[in-house]
Amino acid sequence: MEHASPLVRIMVPLFSTCIVVMIQTARWKQIKIRRIHGLTAIEEAIGRATEMGRPMVCTTGLGTARAGIEIVTLQALSIITYIVRSSAKFATKAVLPVFDPQMLPVTQEAVREAYNLEGRPDLYNTEDIRFLTNNQFSYAAAVAGLIWREKAGATFMFGNYYAESLIIAESGNQVGAIQIAGTPATMQIPFFIATCDYVIIGDEFYAASAYLSKEPTALGSLVGQDIAKGLLLIIVILGSAAITFSQMAGSSLGKTILDLFS
Amino acid sequence: MFSNLFHPLHGSSWYIAILGCFALAGILIAILQSLPHALRRPLIRIVTFLGGLYYAVEYFWPTHSMPIPGSPKHMGNFLTPFISPAANMLSVIAGWTIGLGTINLCQIHGKRLLHAKEGKLNSLVFFIAMIAMFTLAVLKQAHPNLINKNLYMLLFEGLYQALDSTMFALVAFFLVSASYRAFRVRTGEATLLMVIAMVVMLGQIALGQQLTIHLPDHGFWHNFRVEIIRDWILTKASSASVRAIAFGIGIGNLAVALRVWLGLERGAFFDS
Repeated sequence: MEHASPLVRIMVPLFSTCIVVMIQTARWKQIKIRRIHGLTAIEEAIGRATEMGRPMVCTTGLGTARAGIEIVTLQALSIITYIVRSSAKFATKAVLPVFDPQMLPVTQEAVREAYNLEGRPDLYNTEDIRFLTNNQFSYAAAVAGLIWREKAGATFMFGNYYAESLIIAESGNQVGAIQIAGTPATMQIPFFIATCDYVIIGDEFYAASAYLSKEPTALGSLVGQDIAKGLLLIIVILGSAAITFSQMAGSSLGKTILDLFS
Repeated sequence: MFSNLFHPLHGSSWYIAILGCFALAGILIAILQSLPHALRRPLIRIVTFLGGLYYAVEYFWPTHSMPIPGSPKHMGNFLTPFISPAANMLSVIAGWTIGLGTINLCQIHGKRLLHAKEGKLNSLVFFIAMIAMFTLAVLKQAHPNLINKNLYMLLFEGLYQALDSTMFALVAFFLVSASYRAFRVRTGEATLLMVIAMVVMLGQIALGQQLTIHLPDHGFWHNFRVEIIRDWILTKASSASVRAIAFGIGIGNLAVALRVWLGLERGAFFDS
């Protein structure tokens, strides 16, 4: 089992404190965040699917079935929930193919709650949240088939993706769906950029729920994350400078710093 | 205590344990289902918090030497011995959800077949494939004779894995069409992307490297060799941005994990 190093014992609680304090602060202080084009386009994509009278296909990616439900998948579900809530206003059908069977009851409950919150519980259809398979390429084939059969008007791909990303996104492209993707998997970002209309890159993925919901908790968390990133940036700059200058001066300080971080 | 609880059982005690587990699970599910909605959320929050607390304390608590068979340098603390039983419990829960997934599939395809809806043939194929695979897998384990083994291998390796590989192979064709669109010179960014991709691709192949082989092995002009430019793009320009993204993702993961663990999440999942 892996355990925390001394530096991790300091940094993780420090970053956690920043995030929790900002969440509490945001409950009484108004916070604004910049415009993110990929997320603004979600309304446009829902509108397009509604105008065309076609359904939307929303996927939360593969996650890692071995490790149970992942944080990335939960965040993806959080974004998809907002999309479902927005689409409920226009009664646009949303189909959610599920990869991990552990996510099936969670997804069903989240979508049911989303429709309830918009006052449209009648739109909830158990057949729209489908467990397909927990095999990577079988899932890719099933989602591609679903996109083709349903003639998706919009596809939303959020979460962790691997080699199947291109199969799914290219299928969406071929049926003329407006496509929005967001993944923290850096290896898959180029594939999404090549095939999707809008791509949410890196930690914008974690800003999505705050941006869409304007919920103080999510906004505060986002500001907390930015403060933590700022601290991390300062540490990186100070560490790089200390190592560079200590090497120039022939001091062992650089090695001590490297040992601390390794 | 926990190692005895998860000790493998044999014979009649194995059957009794399995039946007992099903009975216990049934009672637990019945109790949870009968709980009022207002009580379910606090219960979920308490269980989530306790589960997260265990893993957090186990990770951060100072460790000492704790040799185990096969790993004499193993480090751990007073909570480490419970990691394996906790992982087993998670596997059991994951096992149950496979059943949920199967029920969901049967419901969707069963309705489609019964009401003769569009795609009923696909649903029929699903049932035939599922029953055939399930039957042969059980037969292979229960009566591992040559016929059962070969039939299972025919379906698993001959059909399932071949189809899986075919889907993977499709990526190559999709890559071509996606690359064509991405590299079309329409904007400044697309042009830059195309030029960089060309340099990286040329640097990866021997033919591309031949283009600049006449440049010296040392000195200033050595930096203009295509493989050197490729390495610089991949290890300096590209990896710097990938690391920056990784920092953001790591902190984002921490933030979402904290919100879920401490029950601070609002406006998502089941919380209005």
